[in-house]
Amino acid sequence: MQRLSGIGVSPGIAIGRAVLLRQHPLVVRFPVKAGRVDDEVARLERARRLSEEQLREIRAHVARGARELEHLFDAQILMLQDPMLLSRAIEVVRREHVNAEWALQRAFELLSEIFDEIADPYLRERRGDIADVVGRLRMNLGYGRAAGRDLFRDVEDGSLLVADELTPSMAAQVDWTKFGGFASDTGSRTYHTAILARSLHVPAIVGLSEASAQVRPGSLVVIDGSAGELLIEPTDEEIEGVRARAERWARAQRSREQYRSMPAVTLDGVAISIQANVELPDDLLVAQEYGADGVGLYRSEFLLATIPPDALNEDVQFEAYRSMVERMAPAPVAVRTFDVDEEQLASWPRGLEWETTASAARSRGPLGLRAIRLSLARRDMFRTQLRAVLRAARHGRVRLIFPFVSGIEELREAKVVLKEAADELAGRGEPVPQVPVGVMLEIPSAAVTTDLFAREVDFLSIGTNDLIQYSLAVDRTDARVSRLYEPLHPAVLRTLRLIVHAAARHGTPVSLCGEMASDPVLLPLLVGLGLREFSMSPSAIPVAKQVIRQVRADTMARVARAVLRMATVAEIERFLLASLGDAAPQPSDDGPPPEPQPAKGAP
Amino acid sequence: MTSRSVTIRNQLGMHARAAARFVHTASAFASQVWVTRGEKVMDGKSILGILLLAAGQGALLTISADGLDERAAVEALAALVDSGFGEMSCNG
Repeated sequence: MQRLSGIGVSPGIAIGRAVLLRQHPLVVRFPVKAGRVDDEVARLERARRLSEEQLREIRAHVARGARELEHLFDAQILMLQDPMLLSRAIEVVRREHVNAEWALQRAFELLSEIFDEIADPYLRERRGDIADVVGRLRMNLGYGRAAGRDLFRDVEDGSLLVADELTPSMAAQVDWTKFGGFASDTGSRTYHTAILARSLHVPAIVGLSEASAQVRPGSLVVIDGSAGELLIEPTDEEIEGVRARAERWARAQRSREQYRSMPAVTLDGVAISIQANVELPDDLLVAQEYGADGVGLYRSEFLLATIPPDALNEDVQFEAYRSMVERMAPAPVAVRTFDVDEEQLASWPRGLEWETTASAARSRGPLGLRAIRLSLARRDMFRTQLRAVLRAARHGRVRLIFPFVSGIEELREAKVVLKEAADELAGRGEPVPQVPVGVMLEIPSAAVTTDLFAREVDFLSIGTNDLIQYSLAVDRTDARVSRLYEPLHPAVLRTLRLIVHAAARHGTPVSLCGEMASDPVLLPLLVGLGLREFSMSPSAIPVAKQVIRQVRADTMARVARAVLRMATVAEIERFLLASLGDAAPQPSDDGPPPEPQPAKGAP
Repeated sequence: MTSRSVTIRNQLGMHARAAARFVHTASAFASQVWVTRGEKVMDGKSILGILLLAAGQGALLTISADGLDERAAVEALAALVDSGFGEMSCNG
């Protein structure tokens, strides 16, 4: 038996036969007779065509939840057409009379050398994208059977994939119903493929250095994604030990799943509402499966990702909202009006790009004409959306949220438009239901005037992603300052306390949406700060429920009071982790195993 | 030939998505397009070329085009760069 250590990037244990994937074979150079040069060029052209077809198919079918991968494949398709890659390889074939593989490798090496000189680490990493494209081209230079889903068609179910490198485009093509896990020589925790593995609940290890050279195809291997270990040809005795561990892990996993259907109630009996953030209507399925108490934030602008603005008329919007409201009933759906800027509205028909731009730039951006500001500048568009929302409210419980409000005037103006929309419906003889109205507190100016808003809205919603970055003046996508983006900054915590107190004084309900709510360490503190309603990405819900059921609200209130007196993030974090360690009940044998707490920022 | 100088404004610079948008836009025009940064001159319709300019935030570029629609091409590309590649905020 042999044991290799790597980085476990997706937990779980799998035992199975190894299937090997090597994208980096040795490339040999051989001379091509003058009369065969055109054949080699034709092979390159064919490989380009096949690769482009595959990438287009991949882009169209990228796994849900991995939508950010789409722009990556867009760039890869452009690379295939790029004169610096294949055209250069063709030149090499014609000039040196060599085989296509070698010419391709030469073109790649030339590019790599230039890329390696780039100082900017982000741009330098794009070399990996070119490597992915070149790997695919090389595969397609092979004879016929080549790439794609066919590659693993005859694989036995439950096989384990061992690869030298599993690039995003290859990972997207693998039929994961056949594989119980994967291990690769390269990669890191933040690698796209690692993210994909976690979303598929497939055990995975990366960074194994030479696993693909050590494992023989068809041999028995164990992938322990929790320990980050790959066992090659273990003895019967070892297999038994592994099976016992796998069993324990599966049992613990099942107990985690149970939390889905359990109410989120703290040990001292405080009920917490856990709702879902939804972008596309299909997210509802996940939200329901994970036991969401409602949709706390429906990002309606994602309609624009699939429907051009011109076509997004009242009826189309109404149908979209109605189906969501009906499916969620009797639980409520909070529709946030469009949070877009002018360019996003104008950039159609590049719908795909719109979407990737929107999600990647989510927390960035100039403080310009966007969200409620744009809606108020485009009254027709705004009224159309409001009419559609009001009509949908006849089919279930709807709440309305105005995004990016900076002052009370904007709220009042938006309410005037809402009244106009209601009058228009009434004028058509249609019934007009009452819809609760709220604002997103995501601009510091709105947060510090929560009391003013609390008097004039039915509910409040805190958008922590923006609130943190505008409170701290930090662009978290800028690697040079992103470490300053800190949810535990005393200013952030004090702002949250201010909001909760002001809302409570006026009896206005307040919920919190944003990534902060789905962090198992931060969530108990938020409960301690007095928050009782959260909205998060659907997949975070089971863990959030588990966390809530293991803490006491009164203990956390004491913790929060202590934390609010502390001066530094380090101090707060240490104290918080220590108090959570005491508060959490010890797991029994049948319960969840002691999970390493995701101690964010801690060494 | 028409030319214009622009400065990269968006935080991430000419990263993959921005470069892809640039190349998409450039390819919509019949004119030849070049992008110059310092001594490097790259084909404006080549994503690898654009990436290899390694143009981070604040980088000064010259966009040039030669052909029937050269003026429109330069204007469209300069507007794209000036807009920070539309990397606007959209958040909850």
